[in-house]
Amino acid sequence: MRLGKPVERFDDVPKRVRNEAVIVLGQRKLLQRLVPGLIHAAIFWGFLVLFPTIVIAMIGVVDKESTLPWLGEQGWFALMVDVFAVLVLAGVVGAVIIRKVQRPARFEGSHLGEADLILALIAGIVTTLLLWHASRIALGVNEWPSSWSPVSDALSGLFGDGGVTEVLERVFVWAHVLIILSFLAYLPHSKHLHIATAAFNVYFARTRPRGRLEPLRFDVPEEEMRFGAGTVPDLTWKQTLDTFSCTECGRCQDVCPAWTTGKELSPKLLIMALRDQVFEEGPPLVRGEEGFEPSPLVPNAVTDNVVWDCVTCGACVRECPVSIEHVDHIIDLRRHLVMMESSFPAESEQMLRDVERASNPWGKPQTERADWAAELGVRVLEPGDPAPEVLYWVGCAASFDERARTAAQSTAKLLQAAGVDFAILGPRESCTGDPARRIGNEYLFQAHAEQNVSTLNEAGVTKIVASCPHCFNTIGNEYPDFGGDYEVVHHTELLADLVRDGRLAPSADAGTITYHDSCYLARHNDVRADPRAIVEAVGTPIEMERREERTFCCGAGGARMWMEERARPINEERVREAAETGADTLAVACPFCTVMLDDGVKSRGDDLRVVDVSTLLVESLDGDGTRPPAP
Amino acid sequence: MRILVCVKRVPLTGGKMVLTADEQALETRHLGFTISPHEECGVEEAVRLVEEHGGEVTVLTLGPAEAEEQIRDSLANGADRGVHLVTDGEEWDPQATAAVIVSTIQAEEAVGEGFDLIVFGNESADAGNYQVGIRVAYTLGRPVATGLKGLSVADGRVRCEQEVPGGRDIYDLPLPAVVSVLEGINLPRYPSVPAKLRARSKPVESSSPERPAARLERLRLMVPPGQGKQAEVLGSGADAAPAVVEMMRDIGVAG
Amino acid sequence: MSVLVLVEQADGATDELSLQALALARDLGSPVHALSIGEAVTGLGAYGVETLHVAQDDRLSTYAPAAWAACLGQLADRLQPSAVVAAGTNRGNEVLAHLAARRDLPFAANVIAVGSDGTVTRVRWGGSLLEEARIDSDLRLLTVAPHMVEAATVNGSEAAVEAFEPALDETEFVVRVVDHAETPTAGISLAEAKVVVSGGRGVGSADGFGMLEELAGLLNAAVGCSRVVTMAGWRPHTDQVGQTGTKVAPDLYIACGISGATQHIAGCKGAKKILAINSDAEAPILASADYAVIGDLAEIVPAITAELRKAQSQ
Repeated sequence: MRLGKPVERFDDVPKRVRNEAVIVLGQRKLLQRLVPGLIHAAIFWGFLVLFPTIVIAMIGVVDKESTLPWLGEQGWFALMVDVFAVLVLAGVVGAVIIRKVQRPARFEGSHLGEADLILALIAGIVTTLLLWHASRIALGVNEWPSSWSPVSDALSGLFGDGGVTEVLERVFVWAHVLIILSFLAYLPHSKHLHIATAAFNVYFARTRPRGRLEPLRFDVPEEEMRFGAGTVPDLTWKQTLDTFSCTECGRCQDVCPAWTTGKELSPKLLIMALRDQVFEEGPPLVRGEEGFEPSPLVPNAVTDNVVWDCVTCGACVRECPVSIEHVDHIIDLRRHLVMMESSFPAESEQMLRDVERASNPWGKPQTERADWAAELGVRVLEPGDPAPEVLYWVGCAASFDERARTAAQSTAKLLQAAGVDFAILGPRESCTGDPARRIGNEYLFQAHAEQNVSTLNEAGVTKIVASCPHCFNTIGNEYPDFGGDYEVVHHTELLADLVRDGRLAPSADAGTITYHDSCYLARHNDVRADPRAIVEAVGTPIEMERREERTFCCGAGGARMWMEERARPINEERVREAAETGADTLAVACPFCTVMLDDGVKSRGDDLRVVDVSTLLVESLDGDGTRPPAP
Repeated sequence: MRILVCVKRVPLTGGKMVLTADEQALETRHLGFTISPHEECGVEEAVRLVEEHGGEVTVLTLGPAEAEEQIRDSLANGADRGVHLVTDGEEWDPQATAAVIVSTIQAEEAVGEGFDLIVFGNESADAGNYQVGIRVAYTLGRPVATGLKGLSVADGRVRCEQEVPGGRDIYDLPLPAVVSVLEGINLPRYPSVPAKLRARSKPVESSSPERPAARLERLRLMVPPGQGKQAEVLGSGADAAPAVVEMMRDIGVAG
Repeated sequence: MSVLVLVEQADGATDELSLQALALARDLGSPVHALSIGEAVTGLGAYGVETLHVAQDDRLSTYAPAAWAACLGQLADRLQPSAVVAAGTNRGNEVLAHLAARRDLPFAANVIAVGSDGTVTRVRWGGSLLEEARIDSDLRLLTVAPHMVEAATVNGSEAAVEAFEPALDETEFVVRVVDHAETPTAGISLAEAKVVVSGGRGVGSADGFGMLEELAGLLNAAVGCSRVVTMAGWRPHTDQVGQTGTKVAPDLYIACGISGATQHIAGCKGAKKILAINSDAEAPILASADYAVIGDLAEIVPAITAELRKAQSQ
């Protein structure tokens, strides 16, 4: 970790302490999966409770008569020890059943032999503890009232009070201590290292908004022109700590859209591979071994496919019980590949050139940016005009893609119907830079961020509504790093407010609707209730299994909209789930989801109408003649 | 070897042509700009030749102050220095363009090493006059081959490949020479960020030459009639197939 | 005042674009003289040519632009025309540029019309924009934009043929074709195909072109693509249709998933008919197309292929 680059994680102490309490002590993330969570909680809390018994055992090895002052004599402590020892054993049994009988897919690629050994050692520790206590009770040398430790008491019945038991008592305590010591020796060489690192990893996890990426500085001298993570020393210390904290549980792998659709990327395998390379190259690097050159992480630890398969949906980060931040790793690997080596999928090059030269990833002239609004009489803000109450940030997709355009037109109509004072920037609105940032071209992103912030600040904009979750995320969470501080809402939030306030009065007869949560809304930014409020107001909602924070990506995030896809398409996987609800309509709140899911419906031939919630809302307003013909 | 590449800043027009009110230029407000495509490949070719043979690439442009952007882009792609002949935004006709390039080259070559190779794009994307490279070559008394899709240098000579129907014609010129290249001769690299950062401090010399009277004088620009044609929609989706085949039969291509 | 036109030929047949150049040349003056390098051609009388001069020199058997320009210049000195014209082919533009350079005369490339007031209209942006210009010189040099002027015929008698021996020195031949490499063409060449099936960003991937190739097979067509496709590495640059790629003039150009940027239109507007297949009814290409089908090309192209197969088997 000494090799690691700096990153600011020492701020926000109250939030960090709270995270420790909830995630580590409270085991909240582990309990996202109830049974395995309870098993781990049992073992984890068990170890917290049993920790003093290690000290007691070490005292007991040296001096048969002594124990830990005061605590070693407390009946309630002995009761806790008994109860938790049994719980730990039960946990181990449960774990064995899961691993050997149920065999969940998330363990694919994990070191199962190692896990078995650890479980055996844990069982050994706890068993020897109970037996030691039992033999002490049998000999009558227990310092605590034996009635308080029913299990040990019951076990003591196995032993007489003679010489054999005296020997056994020593055997058990020595065995107990030796197993613990060998466990401690084994720890740094196994994934069980997480017991040392996990608590720290959770403490140092990001407290800033999830959707925000850490900016890089480019005003650096020649010697410091290394961007992104190319080799082990390029990783930040937090990223290195991440690799030490992985328990190979595979929960991230289970929810990864890329892995689920047969691609190479598994967040778990990614972190494991990085860990292996850190362990291999770390020592010689720290020693300053002469002539030792760290090897490139890509392709040595991970392949290019792994780096590019990621949609940055954040499902892995959400699942991880030890707060590993896989997306940050991927982004930094991408930054090195793109900015230092100009290595990225060939089909994305046009998008990067277009963002740079034409200011939008579609490569269309900015002069046409407001064409979608031509007939609607939407105000285009010219330089010098007074700022509107709300600036509607349309985004490149809605400006230039024919399917995404409808949502912008619907949103504009709704804002007009509700009498909201709004305007668009038109040709002066350039790409937020999100696709550049997500593909790893931080430099190009920053150029756009600075330009847009300058335009917005000069125009005196204070409140922004965006209909694209990526624009919403970037402007709201990432632009403050570049001097852009605005109140930013997603169009579903604004529209839901208008409905609640009665400024828009929809009628609820749009049939059955299943709503797809966009990753950048529901997971990165906690916008889940407002789109649902709109869906409820216009029709009958049916929920999918993978929803809200557990939503399944449409496949376009992480700049993958501009990359070719291998193996099974992510969008079709999601459409399958939507179609299975039996709903007539698949409602979305993102232009990328619109295009990807519509493509998915077309390839699968499902009878589903993919439509933005804003369009559903405008169609359901009284007196509005914009209902489409029945399909 | 010393190579000079001449580039031009052109707008990215998209689907429509919109003129300024005085019909003298394209309305470029809100348009992006780039290096004219053939020339972008010319820069790449020059940089590759110097990577192979050693030497230096100079990039030159005659254009407004904003054209420095195109020089910096070329420097990021591997050129070593830039020469910016700054105009007031008014267009120069091809003879004047060639003349000022020639005088710049002659001034440089008088005090230093000559350019072994001067590279142009075959024609600029906007004006498309097809003549600047040839005029420069002629005035400097150097051989020139145009429309090239392949270049290689060896033993003081340059082997040039020109695409013609059925294959490629080969020319073999002694250096110093002038060539004009076509897009497709190579695929320009995507510069790394350190290269872009370094390009900001590579040397660029500027001067502001005076524009002589035009002998190919632009009177006005016009959008061709027929822009804004209305296509006859034969149908939508797969159902339109029969109508399409019928149309193909009518024009006699259905085979 | 007379006009001198450089005509190109291959195997004794005059190039179509030279015939178009002759049609425009007739608007510049009369009589019309033509110059052919090396070989005589027949039938030029129908295009208004009074005299065909054939330049003869053994060294002219391979193309050498400076030598051709020297021939043209010497003939012009003798005939004193008001204008020297050629087709806007690669060679035509090159030779006239050489002539303009050696005489320090202005040269207007790719002209489509001449005005009665002496102005010319020429193309910019590969044809997407027009320029009205004045050539400031008594002797006007210009080439004629390909496929913009109809090669109209007149009732003319057979052109007289005169041999012409130019005085050429070795320096004119420093730049000449010394070798030729044949590229084995798989299929019909883009520039010569009667039908072109072309794909753009909307095709989605290199594999997506499979359905276009299938359709092209049934139509005996060549497959083309837009610049976005070449930049993405899905197809080679030789397939690119556009201002900086190949300019095509087929009977039918089918543009699948191509938005219609002017750079692309510049390459295909020579087509007699353009069919656009696009999911966006507002795509710019529809303003340049004769026919359109709106929808998903992945459904439409195979449907057309199937329908064609049906029709062809009948």
